[in-house]
Amino acid sequence: MKRFLRARIASWARRRQGADVLPVTMHYRRIYILPTRAGWGFAFLLFCMFVAGLNYSNSTALFLTFWLAGFVLVGLHRCHRNLLGIALQGATAVPTFAGGAGELELTLENPAPLMRLRIEADLPGVAPSVTDIAPRCAARLSLALPTTVRGRLLIDGLRLTTALPFGLFRAWTWVYLPLELIVYPRARGFLPLPTVAGVTPGAKTRGGSGGDEWLGLRAFRDGDSPHQVAWKAYARGAPLLVKEYCAAAAPERYFDFERLPNLDTERRLEQLAAWIVDAENRGERYALTLPGGKLALDRGAQHRHRCLSALALHGLAPARRAAAIAR
Amino acid sequence: MLWTIAAFVAGALLNVDRIPLWATAVLIACAAWQLSVAAHKLPALPKPAQLILTFVLVTCVVATFHTLNGLPAGTVLLVVMGSIKLLETRGRRDRYIVIGAALFLLLAACLDRQALARLPLYLGDALLCCTALLVSAYGGAGLEIRVAAKLAARSLLLALPLALVFFLFFPRLPGGFWALPANDDAITGLGESMSPGSISQLTASYDPAFRVRFAGAIPPPQERYWRGPVLHDFDGYTWRRGVVEAYRQPALRYLGEPFRYSVTLVPDANRWWFTLDTVVGSPDKHVFFSYDYDLIAREPVTQLTTYDALSYTHTESSEPLSNFARKIESALPPNRNPRTRELAARLRERAAADPDFVRAVIDFFRTGGFQYSLTPPMLDLDSVDDFLFHTREGFCGHYASAFVALMRAGGVPARVVTGYQGGEWNPIGGYFLIRQSDAHAWAEIWIEGRGWRRVDPTAIVAPERLSRGILDILPNAVSGRTRLLYTTPLLVHLLQGWDALNTAWNERIVKFDVNMQLGILERLGVRSADWTALVAALASGLIGWLAWIAWHIGRSAGPRPADRLARAYARLCRKLARAGIARDAHEGPLDYAARIVRRRPDLAPRAQPLLARYAHLRYGPVGGEVAAAATAAFERMVLRLHVARRPRSTPLRRSKSL
Repeated sequence: MKRFLRARIASWARRRQGADVLPVTMHYRRIYILPTRAGWGFAFLLFCMFVAGLNYSNSTALFLTFWLAGFVLVGLHRCHRNLLGIALQGATAVPTFAGGAGELELTLENPAPLMRLRIEADLPGVAPSVTDIAPRCAARLSLALPTTVRGRLLIDGLRLTTALPFGLFRAWTWVYLPLELIVYPRARGFLPLPTVAGVTPGAKTRGGSGGDEWLGLRAFRDGDSPHQVAWKAYARGAPLLVKEYCAAAAPERYFDFERLPNLDTERRLEQLAAWIVDAENRGERYALTLPGGKLALDRGAQHRHRCLSALALHGLAPARRAAAIAR
Repeated sequence: MLWTIAAFVAGALLNVDRIPLWATAVLIACAAWQLSVAAHKLPALPKPAQLILTFVLVTCVVATFHTLNGLPAGTVLLVVMGSIKLLETRGRRDRYIVIGAALFLLLAACLDRQALARLPLYLGDALLCCTALLVSAYGGAGLEIRVAAKLAARSLLLALPLALVFFLFFPRLPGGFWALPANDDAITGLGESMSPGSISQLTASYDPAFRVRFAGAIPPPQERYWRGPVLHDFDGYTWRRGVVEAYRQPALRYLGEPFRYSVTLVPDANRWWFTLDTVVGSPDKHVFFSYDYDLIAREPVTQLTTYDALSYTHTESSEPLSNFARKIESALPPNRNPRTRELAARLRERAAADPDFVRAVIDFFRTGGFQYSLTPPMLDLDSVDDFLFHTREGFCGHYASAFVALMRAGGVPARVVTGYQGGEWNPIGGYFLIRQSDAHAWAEIWIEGRGWRRVDPTAIVAPERLSRGILDILPNAVSGRTRLLYTTPLLVHLLQGWDALNTAWNERIVKFDVNMQLGILERLGVRSADWTALVAALASGLIGWLAWIAWHIGRSAGPRPADRLARAYARLCRKLARAGIARDAHEGPLDYAARIVRRRPDLAPRAQPLLARYAHLRYGPVGGEVAAAATAAFERMVLRLHVARRPRSTPLRRSKSL
């Protein structure tokens, strides 16, 4: 019931607000606020205090009651303000393999000279993530999104909420960004990597990173694998650098959907994913051929993502509008 | 968790002198246990043990109070149940419940006592509860306690105006829908009987009895007699009010100017409302105006009570006293105090009329070698005989008793009046404070053709007693501490100031009622204020506060430029944006000005110099005081800038005019 109601309200708010574009600033018109259960309890408490004060015609008790009532109203505004003005600067869905947990990374910026306490991000069915944001600072929130099947996961119903400072009210805002999480097929398969020519599976060819030729270091770019980061140099105080190897000497792999005839589609995709992961880890160059298209020989995180995404979306409609993370 | 426990314990401690010792012990034990649990030193108490504990403790409360109802039992129940709740507090919800209980305990303390001196404690506890609320809502470490306390304190401060508005203008309904508590705070004041020695106990007490504020003239010291119980019935040792039947009092003629005043009684569990002798009538329909000019309330005075009264210090009555009344007021127990009767008979024989007899008795007191003392020897059962012919040492009670006995023995109707005499003028508060030590007894005698006349035999023996306090005459009568407090001039001044403050608090705040509310409105200029005016004041106060608080809190949420110059620049940009040409985020002031010249030449003459000036102030070689002055000038120019919404000849404008 509660979930149904929440979904209805969320869709009403969506019609009202329209879709969002980054950066999303939390202004007055998009912040909603209601008392929490503790808030209703506190209201009842105040009512009892009020009746007692009137009954005894007791000035001190009445003053206390009025004061606390004012305090609650101040709390209402403070709670609203705790969210007001925060800007959602970035929202990135970090892909994962089916069965694993994808990540939604949110970057929140607090432009005001005041401390934001306990800003929560939540999605239906997902454990919320909480952070404080210091004055004129940004903070990162990450939500773990559990997945089951490969494909495209539409992230819907993202909420930023807070109940601070006193827990008597909860202010929230819905964020309607076209966010989707690419879920790669599970990387699993029993077949060994195809040989260099891609003809004899099981042939004894071992590439491995050890055989790679050292090329040099370059600056870290988003999407680089943590395995390639020169952590030792970083620990010595150098900026974040990435070790680059020359793949010229490494074998080249050709992965082809059609060459796995004994398996059904999903198994094939899983096998291909396993190979891609394996080849990338070895630092080899690889190409992927799917019935719908072809990805040329290359290596690196970008290439890996392109390949795995192609596998994830294989056979799916271009932009199927999936439900929220339904489980 | 620590804060929740602290808030609850503090709330309970506010009531600590009202709850039995075992309940305090339970509280401390539970708090200590839960602290140990929080520190992982003790396991949490298992559920069955909690249930048994609950049952046992509730039984204890019932056994102590024989009820769970009412303020005292309710407070103890709250303390006990809250303590048990502490034991099972785990989540946020439990903590909220405990904090709610703590707030209720604070309320109970407020209901119980509203003394000004306790106010700081209440304030501190409220702040503690609010901080605990914040800490509980935050949950977990990482919140600096200084920050939390500051936030809670600021929130309370912001709420203060609303509290004041509601306090002043929320219509005060007459209370008492349910039974009101009996306040056992009362001190014992004058009783309904007087035996030798009973008043001297009061005299040693410096507690306040009541306070009087005169509107207009103040009676001279020798007229400041505060009338209390009138005693008619004498058994030879003790005077009592007696179960005498009321008789019709002869009609009074009031002489001179009346005195108007208001009295605030300190609760004393008696029913007497003291007034300046002689009061004209009852100020309250629940207070009975007795045949001997006393005001007697139906219920004992258990709360601070204020009433207005009107008195004349001189009265006259030409009617004769009825035979029935004469009989009652001349009665003496037979076979008691024989020597007194003998003396009265002797003096009576020599006197021609009643006034001569009275004069003779007064002379007897003046010349008989009597001494004023607060520690007289004990008297035997024929107390008047013993006093008049043996000890000759006593205070007001002895003299009044002996005088009235002599009068009655001589055939003059007389009665003992108890009450207070004098009072200390508080120059800071502008009122008289009458203490228990001002307790007094005097006599009233009936003179045919003139009515009841007051005779104060104490004044004959010790005239200085009336003009000076007990401390001056008999410093040893009061305790050393009181003596020290009330004889050091600086301390006396401080004590008077404190008493005046307390009185103001009691009169203005504690006794605040609908009449005072309407009075405030009238002072604010509302003519013939009534309930609707109150509601209107309340609503406008509420709306004003809400608007203010929304603005005050909301404005800090946005990005605010750090310095004055940046703020003025932001204002300039806002104005220009309203005129239809907004600055792009990447645009510097000069580029912006250039764009305005290109796109909106109508704005350029005013906007361009300002933008150039900003660029100069921000980036040019300006410094020190010059910069400050220039910035101020820039601010003023921006403020004065008026820009039209649209250029004169836009298509929009033209289409409108069609």
